[in-house]
Amino acid sequence: MRPSILLRAIVGIVCLVAVQPAGAAVSRGFSQLLDAVVRIDVREMTFDEGTQRFERGIGSGVIIEKDGLILTNAHVVSPRAVEISVTLSSLERVSASLVGWDHWTDLAVLRLNLDEIKSRKLTFAHAEFGDSEDIYPGQTVYAVGTPHGLTRTVTRGIISNHQRYFEDSRAVRGYETGSFNTWLQTDAAINPGNSGGPLVTENGKVIGINSRSYMGADNLGFAIPSGVARRVAETLVREGRITRSYLGLRPRSLQDLERFYELAVNTGLLVESVDLSSPAAKAGLRPGDIVLSLNGAKLDGRFPEQLPPIQNIIASLPIGSEVGLEVKRGTQTVQLRAETEKLESRVGEEWAFEKWGLSVRMVSRAYARENQLPDASGALVIGVQQGYPAAQSGVARGDIISKMGGETIDDLGRLKKLYTNYEANPEAVLVEAQRNRRIALHVFKP
Amino acid sequence: MIVFYRLPFLVLALGVAADARAVGIADLLAERLKSVVMVEFTIQTEIERRQVFVSGAVTDTQGTIIIPGSHILPGYTPEQLKDFKVYGPNTDRSESAIYLGQDSLTGFHFIRMEDARKIAGLVPITAYPISAVPQLGEELWGIGMRGKDEDFAPYVLSSRIAMLARLPNHTALTGQDIGAPGLPVFNLAGEFAGLTLSPFGRDFLLFSRNQHGTPVMLLNAEESSVVLLAREFLPFLERVPRNTAGRPVTWMGIYGLQPVDPDVAKLLRLEGRTGLVVSDIKEGSPAAQAGLRDRDIVLAIDGEPLPRLKPDRVVVGYFGQEILKRQPGEKMKLTVLRGSDQQEFDVVLADEPKMVREAERRFFDRLGFTAREFLVADSILHRALAEEQGGAVVHFLKPNGPAATAGLRPDDWIREIDGAPITSYLDAVDKLAAMESDARRAEFVLLTSRGGETQVLRIKLN
Repeated sequence: MRPSILLRAIVGIVCLVAVQPAGAAVSRGFSQLLDAVVRIDVREMTFDEGTQRFERGIGSGVIIEKDGLILTNAHVVSPRAVEISVTLSSLERVSASLVGWDHWTDLAVLRLNLDEIKSRKLTFAHAEFGDSEDIYPGQTVYAVGTPHGLTRTVTRGIISNHQRYFEDSRAVRGYETGSFNTWLQTDAAINPGNSGGPLVTENGKVIGINSRSYMGADNLGFAIPSGVARRVAETLVREGRITRSYLGLRPRSLQDLERFYELAVNTGLLVESVDLSSPAAKAGLRPGDIVLSLNGAKLDGRFPEQLPPIQNIIASLPIGSEVGLEVKRGTQTVQLRAETEKLESRVGEEWAFEKWGLSVRMVSRAYARENQLPDASGALVIGVQQGYPAAQSGVARGDIISKMGGETIDDLGRLKKLYTNYEANPEAVLVEAQRNRRIALHVFKP
Repeated sequence: MIVFYRLPFLVLALGVAADARAVGIADLLAERLKSVVMVEFTIQTEIERRQVFVSGAVTDTQGTIIIPGSHILPGYTPEQLKDFKVYGPNTDRSESAIYLGQDSLTGFHFIRMEDARKIAGLVPITAYPISAVPQLGEELWGIGMRGKDEDFAPYVLSSRIAMLARLPNHTALTGQDIGAPGLPVFNLAGEFAGLTLSPFGRDFLLFSRNQHGTPVMLLNAEESSVVLLAREFLPFLERVPRNTAGRPVTWMGIYGLQPVDPDVAKLLRLEGRTGLVVSDIKEGSPAAQAGLRDRDIVLAIDGEPLPRLKPDRVVVGYFGQEILKRQPGEKMKLTVLRGSDQQEFDVVLADEPKMVREAERRFFDRLGFTAREFLVADSILHRALAEEQGGAVVHFLKPNGPAATAGLRPDDWIREIDGAPITSYLDAVDKLAAMESDARRAEFVLLTSRGGETQVLRIKLN
């Protein structure tokens, strides 16, 4: 058993007598909440070392519907999971399946195997959501989870900040997170092991999903607000995924720069960077521009915590929709029109080719842009196994395989086909790999 | 320090034993010490002066002295290298010298003593008989020099040749360190065998209370076992730079050459041959004009196949030297494998575009950084499109200065100053100078580019 990811937790059932919220008797709501918290055991496939391996992880979750829907973190259960086992408050274990995940908000939705529940005559409770819009700094909250494997742990604290800005390009297992939502910050102790468990009010209403904390700091924990979690869960249940729009502008808070840009306070969104050949670039948007309004709605990006909601407005537009931008550039005001594209992650599809001892991740458009690659083709090497053909040939982690056997590697299917050929008829194959724009040739020899 | 205590005893012991061979070396040493010097100079940066001591060898009767290239990091302008002084062994008296420049082919720096009368006591290393190509196992001896507080006392090191290699120059590697880099090495007959170069690192395992066999590489900062053989080295002495910039520097505009390993060569039906894959061609360069492309595999220069050198990477150095040995304007014919065809290209070599050490730059003390003109090398780093190249980049940041505090970093490319696009280096410098001299100015805003992304930086002045 290897709790591999920072904040995966075992969340068990909490002993009722141990809980005395705010010195009062346990409310019915709170005890129902405790019955709805589950522990999640995951077995998942990894492709890291040039081979397919299984890894185990443990996390927490909370049942949110009568029909057995469970909310947890995307960094607890991802599409790599091959076996998900849920421990109910009755200590019974039931299998579950992944309904969908969204690394941008660090959320995943699972569904309990209801046939199994029925045939074994099991029961479970479900939690109720509170309104994360109504909470206020200083409000008492509880985190339920299994920090460091200590099951049935309830910790108490307050909401330290209800609009924390936290964006990271690789915090959820290499995926981006935090661009479209702010976080609840609490001083209720959240430790490795609390992930996916609920942050609740005194009467047991879920106001957040605990997700992360600063390691080494004292009680700086963060949770996804329930308002965001509800919307994401609904979409995941309905569509299986969250589709977002992309414009390609990177905002920055204006903070103290209003005078320089000759703006009234609380006006406009500063464009810090425009992604190359993105919709925003094609529309003529430039770094240093101030977007005053988007489709007629005024923007206010003065402070960092105001940026995710604005990014979310863009992300929520239908893909391919026209966006009207009113832009202040120097003393002029210009009107620009951009057409949104589908938002992509920097992390492409992964696979392992065991006979080559090679793990790859396809280069995505976002990854290509980030690394100034000429186009989004090629397979990034994320691992090689010593003694196998890839490692023997000199290919190493970080190389991008651009060609193999004369064929350009523009999708994973092509690479899989070449591998199938190799399996059927193992013979030396010429590989072109690039690193820091250096092109080197290698041979995979059987 | 271990070396320091061990060596005097070693020399002493040999002397007492009256070993014929040791006495021989002692006599030979007395004469050959007239060819070795310690060079002191100052590197003047924006905010400090750094004193440097490097050992060097006397190469002619005009007082010309050669210093290995690695002793001076690239990027400093010749004007930043100041106050050259030359010390002989066992003295605290120095003579002043001037900096002549760096040779592009060998990397050697040349300096020359100013006062001809002081040169009389010096003997160039060309004055000694030249050793035949040394044999494996042959014993050689070399010289090291102590620091200023010990009046640059010389000491002797000796060892046998453990390996002879082409890297791509003919080089001997001795079993033990043989001398300080830049100083000559002799055989037992006193013949000049070669010049000590900078050391290669040596692999060790580190054991300590909490580390168990951690691999580490150690580099001897004072001595080396790498000797450039005399017959290879002596022609280099002709290459005294004509100017401090070391011009001309012959250039092809071909980048990221990667050797083809034997397995790849076999698959490409180039068995037993040597090839270099071209990764990148600078647009508008001689290579681009000749029609070379990335992914071409270079097989031969002027009809002469590339030599087989080991390790494979040495061929890259060989190719670079072949360019630098030629003059701008000369033709170099490359035989290239493109796809499955062999083709030939005549490249007319040129003088390299302006290098960092030649670039215009200006330090703005109040702003806390140095702006430098944008060079061809920067266009490669920033992957800049041809039409947008130019302007200024950040060369140096004063630690904790206003620019550094605002988040500016070296190599950032300045695109706009206070919202106005930068059209040229002079434009940037004019705008920055106005800011620097305007005491009422409390802040300004830069738009910079780094790794393909832009940043808006607000720089607050005190």
